[in-house]
Amino acid sequence: MKLTRGAALVLGLVVVVYGALMLYPLLRVFEDSFREFIPGRIGSAANAPFTVANYTDLLHPAYVSYFWDTFRIGLISSFLGVLLAFPIAYFVARRRSDWLRRTTIGFLITLMFLSVLVRVYAIELSFGPVGFASEIARLFGETSGSRFYIEFMIVLGLLHYAVPMSALVLIGAIQNVNPRLIEAAQSLGAARWKSHLAVSVPLCARGLLSAFLVSFTLSISAFIVPMVLGRGKVMFVSNLIYNRFSELANFPSGSAVAVVMLVISLVVIYIVSRLTSGDWERAVR
Amino acid sequence: MTVLELSTVSKRYGQELAVNNISFQVEEGCIVSLLGPSGCGKTTTLRLVAGFEVPDGGDILIRGESVRRKRPYERNVGLVFQDYALFPHMSVEANIAFGLRERGVPSAEFPARIRSVLDLVKMPDYGKRSPHQLSGGQQQRVALARALVTQPSLLLLDEPLSNLDAKLRDALRVELRQILTSAGITTIIVTHDQSEAMSLADHIIVMNKGRIMQRGSAEEIYSAPASKFVADFIGQSNWFTGRLDGGRFVTEDGLSIVIAGKAPSGAVELGIRPERIAVRTKGATAAVGVNALEGVIEKTEYLGSTIHHWVRFANGRRIHAVVQNNGQCFARDGESIRVEIRPEDCLLLAPDEQASCEPRRDRLICTDVLAESERRKVS
Repeated sequence: MKLTRGAALVLGLVVVVYGALMLYPLLRVFEDSFREFIPGRIGSAANAPFTVANYTDLLHPAYVSYFWDTFRIGLISSFLGVLLAFPIAYFVARRRSDWLRRTTIGFLITLMFLSVLVRVYAIELSFGPVGFASEIARLFGETSGSRFYIEFMIVLGLLHYAVPMSALVLIGAIQNVNPRLIEAAQSLGAARWKSHLAVSVPLCARGLLSAFLVSFTLSISAFIVPMVLGRGKVMFVSNLIYNRFSELANFPSGSAVAVVMLVISLVVIYIVSRLTSGDWERAVR
Repeated sequence: MTVLELSTVSKRYGQELAVNNISFQVEEGCIVSLLGPSGCGKTTTLRLVAGFEVPDGGDILIRGESVRRKRPYERNVGLVFQDYALFPHMSVEANIAFGLRERGVPSAEFPARIRSVLDLVKMPDYGKRSPHQLSGGQQQRVALARALVTQPSLLLLDEPLSNLDAKLRDALRVELRQILTSAGITTIIVTHDQSEAMSLADHIIVMNKGRIMQRGSAEEIYSAPASKFVADFIGQSNWFTGRLDGGRFVTEDGLSIVIAGKAPSGAVELGIRPERIAVRTKGATAAVGVNALEGVIEKTEYLGSTIHHWVRFANGRRIHAVVQNNGQCFARDGESIRVEIRPEDCLLLAPDEQASCEPRRDRLICTDVLAESERRKVS
């Protein structure tokens, strides 16, 4: 392929901007993660020797559990998010009234703009130790301070992003499915939920996958939600990175955690999209 | 045995009465066509029968049992959509097996049932294909197979041939008729295409503005239309407005035509089918008792099997005549000729009341007027 001069210019500019603003800082993090850290300093010394100790430290079970919590809770909330978003998106996509459709989409987008602190404290107020929901939880023998209850609150917080985001992604996917197909399935004897399972879901597979991946990336990189709602008992990797950098000033260790997080996220997302899109793509087309 | 019965069924969308108090029955093995222009309520009627819409009034019975409160999947009704609606992520076989599985047929029977229904639609080797590998006509047949395999009480076809190109449509029409006859299934075909309705159906129900305008065989509806709407919708006609004067019809602009048979009282419209008008040279002797009107050929269209003439009378009035191209010489533009109309070919109808109605606002009133006029006719 031959590049025209104009295209080369634009492309070059993009490469320079990306290189300077994204790639270089990432490489700095990568480099720092291999530097030796001397406690008491802020960050590593300019000529500190190279070491892999920052990485081997992470093999300690205490660190592994941060990763486990992050991915487990992230997976649960993005899965629930897609599950809850599907009916919402279906409702919006199948409305005949233009007005209603636009209003609901507008509402979903507005929801995304709401400050994360407002949401988090709203959840804290209604589900936290003084909230109404903790009373209900007590009936079931759960205290608002239990680990399960805290994780439940974090999932709620993450759903605030996962649901509208997934719904917006899914609306487009559902609009592309011919509504006659559901009717055809029903006329052949399938109950409504069954015809959705047999027709809408497989035909929206790619939309469902993108919705899941978007929610998943948003969830595992969440920072304020686990920080406030986790109350120090449940922490995500992002909170760990923050602690390393700002509280302990251990830049090399923080960088190592960040690099590991990046690699695991990329691998998980790659595997998920490969596993699913391959099969579905063949089936759908 | 009556397979389907609609009694005084109505369906309203907002202010609009999509289906207005219609009743009809379909007997076992019959092929009935709902024919009408778009927006006449025929598709709504189909969706009411299929269960995708709930009637606001009246009742729908399938084999004597009310299905008013039944969901689409609780009715044993096969449906073929205009766009076929084959499941794109399933093979032809899987598409057909879907209904079998949902209707609880033992899976051991699947292969035999699928094979026999694919044989019926003459696509025995296509089971493994994917719908997008099939042509429009093939998809249509698979959709038909999918609907037939569960042996529904009733088959509904929504505009079955409208998505196909003209040539294929003619071939498939013949084949569709064969398949329906050999399956022996009671069928309702919704269409706006009169030739589709006339060739496929034993019985035609003409609808307009949510009401049934006329029902009968293709011949009855064409040769004895009950209203100007029906006469105009099925076939073409030349229309004259005028009054009756003894055994003659006198138009406003002075043409006088001898008519036969009974005519409605009051203002009357006279319709003459273009193919019932004979065009003769001036010198030829006229048959006895035939209206002979002199005119000039204004325009001629040569269409191969037929030749269309537009004839202008002395008073400026134009008439459209169609003659068979039988190889003999035909009249040319500018030629003075004589048109001959037999009295029994004159369709005498009361003018359509609805013609004067505003389409939207007065729809309810106008259909009520129609209902009134129909009641008067009956009594």
